[in-house]
This record gives sequence, structure tokens and C-alpha cells, in this order.
Amino acid sequence: MSTDTENTPWMKPRSGDFTTKKVERPTRDFEVQSYLPAVTKGLVQTMGAFFKNTKEMILGQKKDPVIESLSWGITTISYPEEKRPYTDRFRGLHRLTIRDDGSPRCVACLCCSTACPAQCIHIEAGEYSEGDPRRGYERYPAKFVIDELRCIFCGFCVEACPCDAIRMDTGLHAVPYDSREQFIYGKDLLMGMTGRDGSRLTENPRHEPGDPDHPGIDRERAH
Amino acid sequence: MNSPGTSFGWVEVVLTILKILLIVGFCLNFSAIAVWADRRQSAMIQHRVGPNRAVVNVPSFIIQGILTAPGILLGALAALGLGQALTPQAAIERMGVSLQLIVFVAWFNLVLLSWRVSRKGALNAFEAAVGSNLPRAYFYAGLAGHVVVALVSVAVARQVSAGQIASDKAYLAARVASVVLGGLMGASGVYAAMRIPKGPVGIRLAGTLHGIADALKMMFKEDFIPKNADRLLHALGPMIALFPALVVMAVVPFGEQLCFQDVNKNGSFEFAELLRVKGAMARDAVCEGHSVPLQIVDMNVGILYIFAISSTGVIGAAIAGWASDNKFSLLGGLRAASQMVSYEVAMGLSLMGVLLIYSSLRFTPMVSWQNMYAWGIFVQPIAFFMFLAASMAENKRVPFDQPEGESEIVAGYFVEYSGFKFGMFMAGEYVEIFTGAAIMVTLFFGGYTMPFLFADGIDVTIGETTFFAYKMNHLAVTVIQALAFFGKSVFLSWVIIFFRWTLPRFRYDQVMRFGWTKLLPLAIGNLAVTAVAVVAIDAAGPGLHSTLKLLGQLSHALVAGAMLVLPVGLVWLFLRPVESTRFLRSSSARFAAAAGGVKPTPMQA
Repeated sequence: MSTDTENTPWMKPRSGDFTTKKVERPTRDFEVQSYLPAVTKGLVQTMGAFFKNTKEMILGQKKDPVIESLSWGITTISYPEEKRPYTDRFRGLHRLTIRDDGSPRCVACLCCSTACPAQCIHIEAGEYSEGDPRRGYERYPAKFVIDELRCIFCGFCVEACPCDAIRMDTGLHAVPYDSREQFIYGKDLLMGMTGRDGSRLTENPRHEPGDPDHPGIDRERAH
Repeated sequence: MNSPGTSFGWVEVVLTILKILLIVGFCLNFSAIAVWADRRQSAMIQHRVGPNRAVVNVPSFIIQGILTAPGILLGALAALGLGQALTPQAAIERMGVSLQLIVFVAWFNLVLLSWRVSRKGALNAFEAAVGSNLPRAYFYAGLAGHVVVALVSVAVARQVSAGQIASDKAYLAARVASVVLGGLMGASGVYAAMRIPKGPVGIRLAGTLHGIADALKMMFKEDFIPKNADRLLHALGPMIALFPALVVMAVVPFGEQLCFQDVNKNGSFEFAELLRVKGAMARDAVCEGHSVPLQIVDMNVGILYIFAISSTGVIGAAIAGWASDNKFSLLGGLRAASQMVSYEVAMGLSLMGVLLIYSSLRFTPMVSWQNMYAWGIFVQPIAFFMFLAASMAENKRVPFDQPEGESEIVAGYFVEYSGFKFGMFMAGEYVEIFTGAAIMVTLFFGGYTMPFLFADGIDVTIGETTFFAYKMNHLAVTVIQALAFFGKSVFLSWVIIFFRWTLPRFRYDQVMRFGWTKLLPLAIGNLAVTAVAVVAIDAAGPGLHSTLKLLGQLSHALVAGAMLVLPVGLVWLFLRPVESTRFLRSSSARFAAAAGGVKPTPMQA
């Protein structure tokens, strides 16, 4: 053939002459044909594994299934008696953080429900009563409902929140309930959940209207 | 069966029913436990945890009772024997046995406690002291203790029989040893009970409860019958499959005989005489009272009965495959039928050589031949492997389980079975494993006999030298024989089950070719060679006979040595320290290591 096919860009350049590699046929000698030596070898292998694993199970010398997950032996996590440690950034069930006075930090801005791709957050905003310093400055969630069955645990709500009011740091994952209604988490339940440190607060400071360190505008120091 | 002189009696009927209940009950329970053993083996060799979820929560006081009661009972038994009048010889014997048991109880409890302390922490200073040594240290110390105690007992026995130690001192030693043994057993039981925490304790028994759970589940599942199935044959299939597996055990002896004294000398066997087991039997003596053979029927056609009955098992599989109105079932049934019929031939012929040597079709003479000369596996090793292969093919076990090859025909002849009908197929398969193992044990592994154990006790004689001799009474020998039979059979079943997790399945044409073109000619050749050898050895002089007898005794010694070494080796393997190196290969492993590894958490609802 002509040599121009060698220079086509889509073909692998040819390097030297072809060499043939001889593949040996498997030998059918007496050891293979009589079958018994191979059976014995196999039995030694499986029985060795059996005794070693049984011993490690009984004596509690099982490998740590996460740290030594690639080593020889049983590395199954016996859930729920054993659990894999979750990372600090693990996105678990939601919680609503609270202020020092026990009211939710949420100001019902609807950022989270807007950001939610699964549309699982339902918020009904309420106005503070007349005379409350927060009235007119912010609102509060009269209803805050998350459908944990719809939630895809993407964490967008946490990122969208301007007040650090919603968090997913409970370290809990979805619980097996027996009816769909039980997965609808209301405001009280969400406020009752604690972070992995056991606190219902957050470390980020909250500046209430009227505080001397309040950075923004408010009714008293208004325009 | 009765000897000709005795008349028919109700005692024989009751004893036969008891024997049938024992065998059937053992087989059915064995099948449930064998299913568990099968799953457990599969899990262990594939590095899985295996069946361990089934749990029964038992209140702690029941556990404490279970731990305390045997200790106190055995302790009381040991102490109660104090009042008996003893000969000096019996006193020395009791002292020796008590001392060995003391050593055993001591090291066993220390191993357990030390292991427990290393896992759960010490409760007090005593436990801390015990836990400061590794469990294997106690085991090796105990082993040394056993040897020392044995040497001391033999030395003391010599001194007593020579008259150098007064016999009242021997009584005292026996009593002290009994009291110490009783106290030790009671105390360890009570101490173990004290360690049980309050509240319910979850009992898992290494997953054996799964067998019970499975059986219950099968009973309550829907018994589905396909619309166009033959209802009668569909129901008959599993019964015909299970029946021969159980019935085969009728002729297999699980002990030699139990000899009862003929107290009233009238020849008829009465219920009152059941308590009068003969004290001691001479070797090769004929029972003068009432002899109860430890097998359900002692048939003179023995092994032929087994071939006849076990070949009817094929009908069950074939009927089940036909009656299910399912193409896969039919294919499975056809495969099962052709495979079982083919291997029937090889199975029968592979045993002909052995039967020539034993020159009997009954099982009891075969077993006594093996006890006198050598185990069948040493005499006819090729026959053993051929019979093993053929019986596994008969049983449709891996690697011969094409009739239920799930990659080709779903589950073969029991595709359309559910509930307890499927359970019967399953039970039949595992019962067949046990019966096959029992037949192999009887033909090739000395049946109910142990090496150097005779009707009158242990006698280790090789050539003309007697290394060790020890008289035992009739009941003890019989109990050891029965335990030996069931122990050997269960062990061999365990090995047969293990093949399933080792060998890949053959192709169907390979199975048939192996049976007809390999196994059958080999069996015929083995038969021819054996026949010539038997004639030649019979014609040879006494020199060869005594050499063969010596070789047989050496084979017994080999087996006995293996029986002593294997348990110690197993414990050695068990207590060996585990070596492991940690490589944190992944980022998740590094994170988990920093977090302290997998977290044990309490069980949640």
C-alpha cells in the first residue's frame, strides 16, 4: 500500500515490523487432569480464610472497616451497631438556629425557599406586633415547614440564608418513619434540633435592632 | 433384631421407636444447623459478617441462672460422690480425673476472663491481674498442667498398687480433689453470673437463630401452586425427595450394641432390666443378656438396601420437575434424573472393592473389620474419592448442581415451589449430606469405632508391644462410640459443605462424561485390582499378614495422633496474635482515623 496512510492523524504511527507473540496453550498435565491437587489447594485457601475470619470475628479482632477498608479480612460496617464517622461538613437534617431569647433567627426573607431546587421549604411570614422594636425592620416565620422527603440535601438553603438561621449540621440523617406526614418537619421541631456540638445557637454574633454595635439602620437611628 | 431364643417384647418396640426418633430428630435438626453452617462458611470465606441479625432478648436473671446452675450442679455432683465406698484403684482414678478437670476448668475460665477483660476492661484488682497476661499464656500453662497432672497421677497409681502409699491416703486425695473441683466449678459459675449487666441481654448464638427464623418463615409463607400444575404430583414431589434421605439412615449403625443383664434369667426383656447395663464386656465377647444393636434395623443386605432406597430419590426430583408446568422445572428435573441415574452405576461399582475386602454387606462387620485392621480410607483410598464424587453427584451438590444451575435454569426442578414444600427439598438436601457422610464414615472412617478403643477399653498395642492399656466399662465405651460416630459424620458433612464454597460448577456435558468415561472405568479397574490383591493376600504366608497387621496398627496410631494434635493446633491457631498493618490509603480513611475509626453505637429501634 502507499505510505500516505501512515501519516493520517487518526492512525497510530507504525513503529517497526510486527512481531508475533506466542501464547502458550494451557498444559493438561496429570496435576490438572486429575483435579484433586487443585481441589486440595482450593480447600486450603478457603478453609484458611474461614478459620482466620472466624477467629477474628469471635475474638473481636476484626479490622476497622473504614480505616483498614482495603486490608485482608472482614471490612463490613455492621450498621447500625457500627457507624461510619461523618465529616464535619456532612449535610444532615436541618435545624433552625435561635437567638439568645429563644426566638428563631429566621427573618422570613424567603431566600432559602427561593433557592431550594426541590421546593421543599414552605414559609409563611408574620409581622411583629405593634411596639416591638423589630417591627418594620424584620419579620418572623409564622410557619416554617420542610418536607424532608422532598429535600435533596444540596445545602443551597444554608448558603442562601443571610442570617445563619438555617443549618444542616445536626449530623443526623433521614429517619425511617412509617408515614409521610412524619417527614414534614415544622418550626418547633426544627428549632428543637441541636448541632453536633449540642447547642441550638450558632457562633456567629447576632445584632438586634437597638444594640449599640448594630451595624445597620434601624427605626431609632433611622434616616 | 431379636436373637432366635427370645420372644417378642414391648421393650424392643419402645427401644426401636426411640432409635427412630433419635435418628430422625438428629437429621432434621442437623439440616437446619447445616443451612446455618453453609451460610456461615460462605460469609467467612468471602470476608462478610454473615448471619448474625436474629436476636432474642433474654432477661439477665435467666442468663445468670444458666451460668450458675451447671456450675453448682456439677460441683454438687462432684461433692456428692464423697460418700461412696471406693477401691483404692477407683479412688486414684477419681483423683486423676478430678485433677485434670480442675486444670481444665481453671485454664478455660482464665482464658475467658482475660479475653473479656481485654475487651471490656477490668472490674477489680483481681481481674486486672488476670488481664495482665494474654489468653494464650493461660492456655499453654493449662496444657503444661494437664501433662504434669497426668504424669503425677500415673506415678501415684504405681505407688498405690506397689503398696508404698497407704490406701486411706488415696481416699483422702480423691476427696480433696473432688471438693476442690466442685468449689471451683460453683465459684466460676457464680462469678460469671455476677459479671452479667442488668437488663435484657441480646442472645445471638453466632446466628444459629436464623435457622429457626427461616423454618418459621417457610411455615407461614404462601404455598403457591401454578395454575396448570398437577396438584397431586406437585405435592408428592418434595415428600418423595425427603423420604429416602431419612430412611437410608435406618441401617447405618451409630454404635455397636448396648448389652443389658438378664436379671431374672427368663430370657424375656423387661422394662426393669433397662437400668441394668452390663458393667464390663470382654473383647469380642458375645452379649449374654439382652443385646440392643445401636442401629434401627440390622439388615443382612445392608448396603444394597441403601442403594435401592437412595435411587428412589430421583423420582422426587423428576416428578417435581414434571408437575410444576414450567419449562425450567422440566429441564431441571430431566437433568436431575439423568445425572442421578448415571452416577448410581459408578457409586455402586466404586464400593465393590471395599465390599470384597470387608466380605460382608452388613455394616457392623465392616466396622469391626476396620477396627481390627485399618480404616477403609487407608485400604481403598481411590474408592473413597470415587464414592465421594459419586455421592455428591447423587446429592446434586456443588460442583454437580446443574439440576439447579441458577445461571441457566433459574432454580431447576424447584422453581415453582414455595413455603414448606421448598423447605422439604432444602431439608432433604441437607439430610442427604448427613446420610452420605454417615455412610462414608461407616465405610471408610471406622464408623463408630475410635483407634485403639475396644469393647473392654483402650489398648494401644503396636506390633507386640503394649504402650498403654486402660479398662473401661461397657456404657462408657458405647457412649464414646456413639459420640465418635456423630462427631465424625458431622465433621465430614462440614467438609462436604465446604466444597460448595471452593469448587466451581461443572458444565453439564462434563458431568456426564466424567461419570461414564472416567468414574465408571476407574471403578471397574479398582474392582479388578482389588480382587487380584485380595486373592493374593489370602494365599500369601503369615509373614505378609503380620506385616499388614502392623501397618494397620500404624495407621491407627497416625489417626490417633492426628486426633490429639488437631484440636491443640486449632486452639493454637485461634490464640495466635493477629498482625495487621494500617495503610491510610484514602482521604476518607485518613479522616476516619483522625475521628477514631468506626463508632460503635447502641442499637436503635
